[in-house]
Amino acid sequence: MKQLRELWQYREMVFSLVRRDLKSRYRDSVLGFLWMFLNPLLQLCIYTIVFSIIMRMNIEKFYLFLFVALVPWIFFSTCLSGGAKAVLNEKDLVKKIYFPREVLPLSYTISQFVNMLLSFIVVFAVVLISGMGLNLKALCYLPLIMLIEFLFALGVVYIASALTVYFRDLEPFLQIVAMGWMYLTPIVYPVDAVPEKFVRLFYLNPMTSITIAYRDILYYGKVPDMLTLLNAIILGVVVFIVGKILFAVLQKGFAREF
Amino acid sequence: MKPGNAIEVKDVKIKFKNYHDKSNTLKDRVIHWKRNKYESSWVLKGISFEVKKGQALGLIGSNGCGKSTTLKMLTRILYPNSGKIELSGRVSSLLELGAGFHPDLSGRENIFINASVFGLSRKEIKNRLDDIIAFSELEEYIDNPVRTYSSGMYMRLAFSVAINVDADILLIDEILAVGDITFQDKCFNRLMEIKQSGTTIVIVSHSMDQIERICDKCIWICDGLIKEEGTPLEVRMKYLDYMRSKKILKEGNNEENEDAVGEVVFESASLTDMSGNHKGVYFIGDELKLRLDLFAVGLFEGYQIEVNLVRVDGVFCYGVSTSTDQIECKPWEGRKNFTIVFSEMNLLRGKYYFDLHIIDNQGVTALFEGKVAEFEVENQRSERGMVYLKHEWIKE
Repeated sequence: MKQLRELWQYREMVFSLVRRDLKSRYRDSVLGFLWMFLNPLLQLCIYTIVFSIIMRMNIEKFYLFLFVALVPWIFFSTCLSGGAKAVLNEKDLVKKIYFPREVLPLSYTISQFVNMLLSFIVVFAVVLISGMGLNLKALCYLPLIMLIEFLFALGVVYIASALTVYFRDLEPFLQIVAMGWMYLTPIVYPVDAVPEKFVRLFYLNPMTSITIAYRDILYYGKVPDMLTLLNAIILGVVVFIVGKILFAVLQKGFAREF
Repeated sequence: MKPGNAIEVKDVKIKFKNYHDKSNTLKDRVIHWKRNKYESSWVLKGISFEVKKGQALGLIGSNGCGKSTTLKMLTRILYPNSGKIELSGRVSSLLELGAGFHPDLSGRENIFINASVFGLSRKEIKNRLDDIIAFSELEEYIDNPVRTYSSGMYMRLAFSVAINVDADILLIDEILAVGDITFQDKCFNRLMEIKQSGTTIVIVSHSMDQIERICDKCIWICDGLIKEEGTPLEVRMKYLDYMRSKKILKEGNNEENEDAVGEVVFESASLTDMSGNHKGVYFIGDELKLRLDLFAVGLFEGYQIEVNLVRVDGVFCYGVSTSTDQIECKPWEGRKNFTIVFSEMNLLRGKYYFDLHIIDNQGVTALFEGKVAEFEVENQRSERGMVYLKHEWIKE
């Protein structure tokens, strides 16, 4: 409780870090903020070419099927690999001044999340252009699933950023993990394609339920299955709590490692 | 925690690991997982102290004694290996000025960023913005990028932000050496105001003078333990004695070292009239005699003694040195006193003090002591200004 109050006191620091991050990311590039939309669109082109022309998946409007899962995935995988350096990049601050260290993973995750929300403008545009239509009732579940994904990603950033202080070469390793993780999550294929005996294992991956929920809402236009949602909530919250505790323990040694 | 206490430190110990070949990569841990040899060194070996609300505590000690580590633990940058630290209320620490400053942003934008690092909300920062800018005296430059600032301006801005963060407990590490003398005085006065408003202060400094002026209590840390605790005056005497004996010991060991330059320590100063009676209040035209007792560790030579007279509000009145008067300073060892006589002291009413400054021939400060002696001038007449100028009116 005391921690939460302190974090609230430092909210302005979180916001100013988020602002700085968003500003600096696109400031020096010619296209500026357009990259925020271009990046997912270009990735979409690549995957669409590969999976609907070369390796045909026989899924109606495959680009949409893929896109509604890809945007949330990019958010998560950036958190996983990029979030590793959330604390390390601010080591001068950590070494010299006190503030609740959670501010760093939190602001990193928020700025990635804002990025995803902006990308969702493109997602909605693509959904409307495709003519699939939007189910308003299903759409009400979108904020919920976003919140779950945010908590899960935050938990992962807590873990990755704290461990990276102790193991500096964790980041490249996590990039590989992110790549492998993507193919173990039903993003370019439907979950039905997974062999029966592995399905249970697949559901241990929080991103499986989260991806399925996004796809239910935006592609199939239906309310996500309660079991899927529950699975996502439980796993997401567990990872979040584990991450928070781990971070709280490891942060005590941060200043000694720099 | 006892009521009335702001800080309680109980038997705190901290050790650092000195790795022979520190590696913090996954690769090295996997390949050489047995070879991470290190030596532990205890920086603090169990210290306990309490600070009451509104009290100011000074921490002194030689370099590496653990005083800055203590401060870092109070502010929660470092955590002790054992022991307990409790603080009550909002803590603000001025360990590092200008943390998070961004060179490309304007001074104003940086105030927002820097103040947010101290845990201020946007509204709180806005309320303080005018005060901060006024205190920094950078009104004209506040919208220029910080990279165009001189280092003095940079520090002034940083200090202004830090000092305007309201806190119940303020932790300060050697930062009062900011900017020019006038700004330093301003910072110091602000610090006194903060103290008067009931803020608890812990300050680490090498300047005994600063500590004596601001602190109610002083702790001397030596080799990771509290060596002495008491009023700044008591602790200062013991600390200086110790430093002196340590230097003599060191000198004794290095006899063959020809380059060893002697060092000088200030012992005391006294103000008297011509007959040698102590005197604290003078009238215009009185004689004033300032006697300085110094102690040289080893042979001390090639130096100049400078005495500066300052009015209590910081106005510099007069400075004189052995070099301006072309007085030869002889080498000496051990105790020695110097006396300077002002035969006609023509200052107007007010409080004044002397600063002592000893410089070697390269112009490097060998010793600086602020406020070695203080006195007051009284007079019934009502002239204005600083000095009495001999004059007469000519009637037509």
